[in-house]
Amino acid sequence: MRPVPAMLCAALVALAGTAHAACGDALGAGTLVAASPRFDVAFRPDPAPIAVSKHFALDVVVCAKSGAAATGLGVDAHMPAHRHGMNYRPSVAARGGDRYRVEGLLLHMPGAWEFRFDVRTAQGSERVSLGVEIP
Amino acid sequence: MRRAALLLAASLAAGAAIAQPIAFDAAERARILSHGPWPMAWSPDPSNRVSGRPAAVALGERLFFDTRLSGNGLVSCAGCHRPKQHWSDGHARAIGHAEADRNTPTIANLRHSRWFGWDGAADNLWAQSLRPLLDPREMSFSIAALARLVRSEPAFDCRYRAAFGRSVPADDEQVALDAAKALAAFQETIVTGRTSFDDFRDALARGDATAMARYPAAAQRGLKLFVGRAQCSVCHGGPLFTNGEFAEIGVGHFVRPGVVDPGRHDGIRKLKASPYNLLGRWNDDRSRGTATGTRHVAAEHRNFGEFKVPGLRNVAETAPYMHDGSVATLREAVRHYSELDPDRVHSDGGTLLKPLKLADAEIDDLVAFLRTLTEPPAPFARRELTEPRCD
Ligand code: HEC
Ligand code: HEC
Repeated sequence: MRPVPAMLCAALVALAGTAHAACGDALGAGTLVAASPRFDVAFRPDPAPIAVSKHFALDVVVCAKSGAAATGLGVDAHMPAHRHGMNYRPSVAARGGDRYRVEGLLLHMPGAWEFRFDVRTAQGSERVSLGVEIP
Repeated sequence: MRRAALLLAASLAAGAAIAQPIAFDAAERARILSHGPWPMAWSPDPSNRVSGRPAAVALGERLFFDTRLSGNGLVSCAGCHRPKQHWSDGHARAIGHAEADRNTPTIANLRHSRWFGWDGAADNLWAQSLRPLLDPREMSFSIAALARLVRSEPAFDCRYRAAFGRSVPADDEQVALDAAKALAAFQETIVTGRTSFDDFRDALARGDATAMARYPAAAQRGLKLFVGRAQCSVCHGGPLFTNGEFAEIGVGHFVRPGVVDPGRHDGIRKLKASPYNLLGRWNDDRSRGTATGTRHVAAEHRNFGEFKVPGLRNVAETAPYMHDGSVATLREAVRHYSELDPDRVHSDGGTLLKPLKLADAEIDDLVAFLRTLTEPPAPFARRELTEPRCD
């Protein structure tokens, strides 16, 4: 394997840095980022990491990459392979700016889950998803 | 002395040579470890201000075994939750003043439960303890009669004062809720003992091959199926062998011809309507941090016919099985998963449950494994109730 030139390395780190710095940096370690063409949704479980069948909350930051800003947020989680969601309906509270606090989530089985954020804008709603594996 | 040590070493070596170690991959190992450690750490229930208090446990234990807590004076909690049958009763469906619709579950290991009853109609142990007292088919008692009994029986009255730090109040409902909290405090002390599975699990965690080899090969093969191909751990997960939630596995829904048990769907409705749920005034946890599940649980169509995933510790002692007691033996319970009809599992979770088509030997192995979740016989003995001094 050829060593990667140091300058390229630094450039990559800087790029990754800016991509994340744009969204959710303030949430701290353990933050995950779901992305769609128009939005990044950064979210941090509380407590982290998520434990199977234990309640947790999410601190969320929604970042508009271009165009319309978010006016609201819906949150859900599903197991695509089992075709079911959670047994709980989370509540979303706007915390000012791009921030939201989501309470009452619980993933009752281990396996592949998908977080689904429905970002509402003046033009309608956009789905931003991220898959996570719960051990 | 030296000779004995040599002999011991020789026999250990021989034992290790005979047992064929079963190989577990990383995912299986992680899953096995997640079924422990046992026992779980105990902490008092914030929703019950007397949780863990010895005087409350003593009051609760006396109430639990007393047949005067029933309309006809013949039925106690212990009449259905019998210590000798691991706190169940051996009947398909419970029999109190009349036959009930469901099987009597054990009451062990409930401190860490989120939901109580097969349908989870209660979100706390004290409300669940009040339900049978008021059910006409179970104990057919009343709030007023319970309050009167606690006031008039010196053995209750004395322990009430010791547990709650005041004399028995005039408000009947308050007395009944307090009695239910004492019943809960007693039941929280019932924790099943360590099993040969727990020894195996801890040996696996330490990497102690000699200790692991003591766990029978059939149980090891059954365990491998349980955490692996058979996917039992997905629902029967964690140290309690339940995720504490609900599922539909294709057991019948009919209570009798034409009458259906809606299971979890009705449980959520009852929970939300109950004045004794954790959102109500009887929850001693002012922060309401205990009420997160109750606040957010939402009924969906798929909850019809779902029942609580039962924990499997001491499962060999609690036949017959399932919410309606329709399955007589452990073997039959395992065979259910081997042969289940996917069309009968109507809920969308159905994609998880496929007929496993297990070979007879695999069914034997799963049963052998389930048996190792049962503690060696240690009969429950009523404590010397010296705490507090009342007599
Ligand atoms: C007539 C038999 C009978 C009597 C008497 C009885 N129970 Fe039960 N118990 C049951 C049945 C049946 C269930 C399941 C109920 C359901 O799913 O709705 C149950 C469920 C429970 C549960 C929930 C267990 C779990 O795993 O969720 C607890 C706790 C409990 N009973 C405590 C008590 C207490 C305390 C008393 C006395 C005040 C009592 N029971 C009296 C039959 C009985
Ligand atoms: C989809 C979740 C799910 C999976 C997977 C699952 N179970 Fe169950 N199990 C349940 C539920 C729910 C019940 C109670 C059903 C009822 O009463 O209607 C149950 C009941 C049982 C019982 C009866 C216990 C009692 O006290 O009545 C046994 C034993 C059991 N399961 C073993 C297994 C085994 C072995 C496997 C793997 C082959 C397995 N389960 C897979 C959800 C599941």
